[in-house]
Amino acid sequence: MQPQTLKFVQSKFLEYYQNSFREDALPVSLEKREFGALLFKEKTMVRHRSFLQFGQLREFLCELVPSDVYYSSAYYDNPAADEMGKKGWAGADLVFDIDADHIQTPCGKEHDTWICGNCDFVGKGVTPKECPSCGSQKIETKTWICEVCLETTKRETEKLLDMLMNDFGFSTDEMRVYFSGHRGYHVHIQAETVRCFDQAARKEIVDYIVGTGLDFDSHGFRSAGGVISGPALESSGWSGRIARGVYDLLNSSPQELENLGLSKKVVKMLDEHKNKVLESWKTTGPWNTVKGVGEASWKKIVQRGVELQSAKIDTVVTTDVHRLIRLANTLHGKTALKKTIVPHGKLEEFDPLKSAVAFERDMAKVFVHESPRFRIGDEFYGPFKERKEELPTAAALFLLCKGVAEVVV
Amino acid sequence: MMVSAIDDSYLKKRYALLEAKRISDFLKEEPPETVIKIAKFFNWKIRRLSIQEGGKFTLHFADFLRNASIFHEKEWKLVNRQIVKGEVTLTQSEAVRLLEEEVKRHIEKRLQTTDFKLPETIAARVDHLKQLLMLRKGELKTEEMPKTIVVDAFPPCVKALYTAITGGHHLSHMGRLTLTTFLINIGMDAEDVINLYRSLSDFNERLTRYQVEHIAGARGSRTKYRPPKCDTLRTHGICINPDETCERIRHPLKYYQRKLRTTQKPSS
Repeated sequence: MQPQTLKFVQSKFLEYYQNSFREDALPVSLEKREFGALLFKEKTMVRHRSFLQFGQLREFLCELVPSDVYYSSAYYDNPAADEMGKKGWAGADLVFDIDADHIQTPCGKEHDTWICGNCDFVGKGVTPKECPSCGSQKIETKTWICEVCLETTKRETEKLLDMLMNDFGFSTDEMRVYFSGHRGYHVHIQAETVRCFDQAARKEIVDYIVGTGLDFDSHGFRSAGGVISGPALESSGWSGRIARGVYDLLNSSPQELENLGLSKKVVKMLDEHKNKVLESWKTTGPWNTVKGVGEASWKKIVQRGVELQSAKIDTVVTTDVHRLIRLANTLHGKTALKKTIVPHGKLEEFDPLKSAVAFERDMAKVFVHESPRFRIGDEFYGPFKERKEELPTAAALFLLCKGVAEVVV
Repeated sequence: MMVSAIDDSYLKKRYALLEAKRISDFLKEEPPETVIKIAKFFNWKIRRLSIQEGGKFTLHFADFLRNASIFHEKEWKLVNRQIVKGEVTLTQSEAVRLLEEEVKRHIEKRLQTTDFKLPETIAARVDHLKQLLMLRKGELKTEEMPKTIVVDAFPPCVKALYTAITGGHHLSHMGRLTLTTFLINIGMDAEDVINLYRSLSDFNERLTRYQVEHIAGARGSRTKYRPPKCDTLRTHGICINPDETCERIRHPLKYYQRKLRTTQKPSS
């Protein structure tokens, strides 16, 4: 980022914190939280701050104008103490993070680019572990937001919410769903019951959501004397999820089954008897309907069914009881979009690229080096290459924060 | 009272365990109503299902996790339970097993109070018991790690991390933490551990030194950190290609000790 670009972006961030930063959807017990802020220029984190009221927090943000703002999911007796041991941990919210960075998406991240810091070799898609040209590992990634990534994380969030509601019994009032401001969603639960959970308890919840350590036998999938039995579609908890995952898989293309390493013969048998297989769910399930499909094949199918039904959360975020996470209504330094609450029950129709827009007015002139086509609000922009453009502030800031454009003075 | 006065955490734990076991043996034979009554004393959200519903118990998952998350058997993992709207289904004996944990912690907590004065005769006995305990504890051997590093005895997860790092490959935060704590705990010199990371392109001497020395207990809180246990490594995707030895252990350091014992037969 060139100096004039930095100056422009910071002036806009300041404008936001002065005029548009709102108190709603902020965490409860503000005074017990630790706050941290990442500085634009220095890229260092100012930590161990605490505020009694919203006004103080806003003052702090207007003074520092940071690129990103975080708070502790934990409650502390002394949130400003600079050593963990002195903070006095007094519980933590239960937090989930779903981010396209950690998930395989159908788009294959074709929009992400990376450049080798050693030989300047440039590539597209998932960042390789080492440069294919010189073998260096000093690789810088430039991620992009695409609608496919956002849809994928939304689906994962829906699965997570379904488990939290139907299995864990949380009410919609107890769960707050946020768009992160970049490529995913956060779910926060502030209920009293979860606050005292230790790492071990949180780990068990993570394992449940991800399906780690799931034992087929415990969910009714067994084989005895050549007869296989399995869970039914309407079973509760993971039993039903397994069945529904298997159902979806059997209903999809034969290619999906082949990808599991099933033999061509087995895939052919299942495909030929597809109707019979799907029909069987009304009674005993598909487990014994097709001859030649044995226990080993079913196990592979069940395993994949579990993967399809699990929600791909970041395991470290949820188990960490001292975590700093992005504060609601603050701007994301990579997009200038704000972390935005999703209204209760409205995830399906929620449009992050519209709801998270923080700047509604004015235009700005920028020089765009290279950008794929993108959407902010209802408008599409680009693709651009080495071009001067006058864009609405939100779209201009998006490009500037993504590091693909500079301000024109 | 005497256990409290002796004020030894090991003894307190053993005593609490004994009492809790006694109570749970007794509860197994009691009618379900008694189990519910005692569970409610500990503020458990528990109820009994009607006979039509199978006559079992349901317990709120928070009460379940508080007591079951330290168990290692797969049937105690939440992911393998029937859980509906926050309620986990349990048999009476399972409910009693969880109550045993609750009782144990309750007794341990009660034993923390040392705010009383003992009559002289009893105080003398307490002193005597203290001495006996010291003697017995001295007999409990702590296993020492040998000084040389035997890569062949690394568990598969650590071996994979070690191979990756020596090949100059990038490791996740959890991967680095696991590898570093493991190597420090089996006696590798902090300096040698730092050198391992030197081949990485994003190597930062100051940062790496700080972190490795912190883990080794030379800085900050002065606690020497142990590697995460197998269960945690599974959660974070570090556990790969578990072998037969893995099935018998729950901690990567135990794997190493076990493997050393079996592979390092006297060579001369």
